[in-house]
Amino acid sequence: MAADERGHDHDHDHDHDHEHPHDHDRTFQPDIEDAPPGRYELMTYAIRELLVEKGHLTGEEIRKAQEKIDSWEPSQGARIVARAWTDPEFKKRLLEDGNDAMAEYGIEPGGAKMTVVENTDKVQNVIVCTLCSCYPRAVLGLPPDWYRSKNYRSRVVIEPREVLKEFGTEVPDDMAVRVHDSLADLRYLVLPRRPEGTEGWSEEQLARIVTRDTMVGVANPDVDRAGS
Amino acid sequence: MPSKNDPGRGYHDIGGLDAGAIPMETTDMKPWEKLSTAISNALGRGGRGIFVTDESRRAREQMGDPPYSDLEYFERATESMKIVLLEKGLFTAEELESRMKEIEQRMAEVRK
Amino acid sequence: MTAVFHPGDRVRVIRTHPPGHRRTPYYIRGKVGEIERVCGAHPNPEELAYGFDGLPAKVLYRVRFRQKEVWESYAGPDSDTVDVDIYEHWLRPA
Repeated sequence: MAADERGHDHDHDHDHDHEHPHDHDRTFQPDIEDAPPGRYELMTYAIRELLVEKGHLTGEEIRKAQEKIDSWEPSQGARIVARAWTDPEFKKRLLEDGNDAMAEYGIEPGGAKMTVVENTDKVQNVIVCTLCSCYPRAVLGLPPDWYRSKNYRSRVVIEPREVLKEFGTEVPDDMAVRVHDSLADLRYLVLPRRPEGTEGWSEEQLARIVTRDTMVGVANPDVDRAGS
Repeated sequence: MPSKNDPGRGYHDIGGLDAGAIPMETTDMKPWEKLSTAISNALGRGGRGIFVTDESRRAREQMGDPPYSDLEYFERATESMKIVLLEKGLFTAEELESRMKEIEQRMAEVRK
Repeated sequence: MTAVFHPGDRVRVIRTHPPGHRRTPYYIRGKVGEIERVCGAHPNPEELAYGFDGLPAKVLYRVRFRQKEVWESYAGPDSDTVDVDIYEHWLRPA
């Protein structure tokens, strides 16, 4: 799997205790008790066992990597957007150097260069990776099925307005739709427009209306929505 | 709309091709899928540095279609990772297949 | 890092379909756009894909294309664009 976000916390204790063949790493919980595992589920367990036995990985490294995945959530991105809406200095830093500004929130995008693009009254930004499904995982979590789908990857570059309509988003003709095909080390996050009717809201309240879809650019924040 | 039969177009290189409605159903990541992702990340640039993302992308692009279109996202990711790890000699295909069979048997025992 | 192109320059993506790992999508090859910004130099992914170190680093650009100049039958307004991150060796002055 493309390890698009690489973490920094690699502990260098290559433990020399040979893992006993019947130890904890050989046990597993079948995902569904009664259904036999598919080929790739089996392959994953087999790869894990072989790598650990041969000293290429430890159980601890794998566990830490799983925890890191758990820490990637759209609520991270939402927090950053809410802050940018209320703090013009932070917003300026965020647009200039995403990695630097996001470090304040403990975001470690690894080798990716977090690039924030701002929606305005003239521009609606939309993100895609047509060749695979690169995505700003460190602030949005893993990409949703639709983002990874062939249909999204094929169509959003050639008919973005039609695709946005399928998400319930209409962009008037006096605004430009700007699609970003993120094919290199830049990872794009959309800074959506702060909607009317949110004057005086706290950052927490604002973050609740910043959904994942608004940070990919297929939707815009809605004051009436509780937020996901 | 451009046709799928453009010479020199990889099967993954699909920007602009005809396609249907955006599938909106979301599925949660299964535990084995998270494990596969974690293993890949732990081996990657932020971990052991055994391979880089670019290698697994390339592996995905060279696996052929089929199986590219037939596999689901995490299956493809696991297949790509396997290709790269076999190339680097971390284990052999025989070791992998035999271990998979063994695990399958172990899991069948547990289910009895 | 010496960038050959600068923001505002008109550039053409070369129209070639080489085998192997490439990060310049088929749909943009041969098209003309404008450098939106220089994005620093990075090891070449085309080489990293095969285990090489990808050095010397190649300059990466964000190139902005008018949708109407990319797709024959683009239905949206003239101002709609697609921004693609493209490496220097895929670009020529337009």
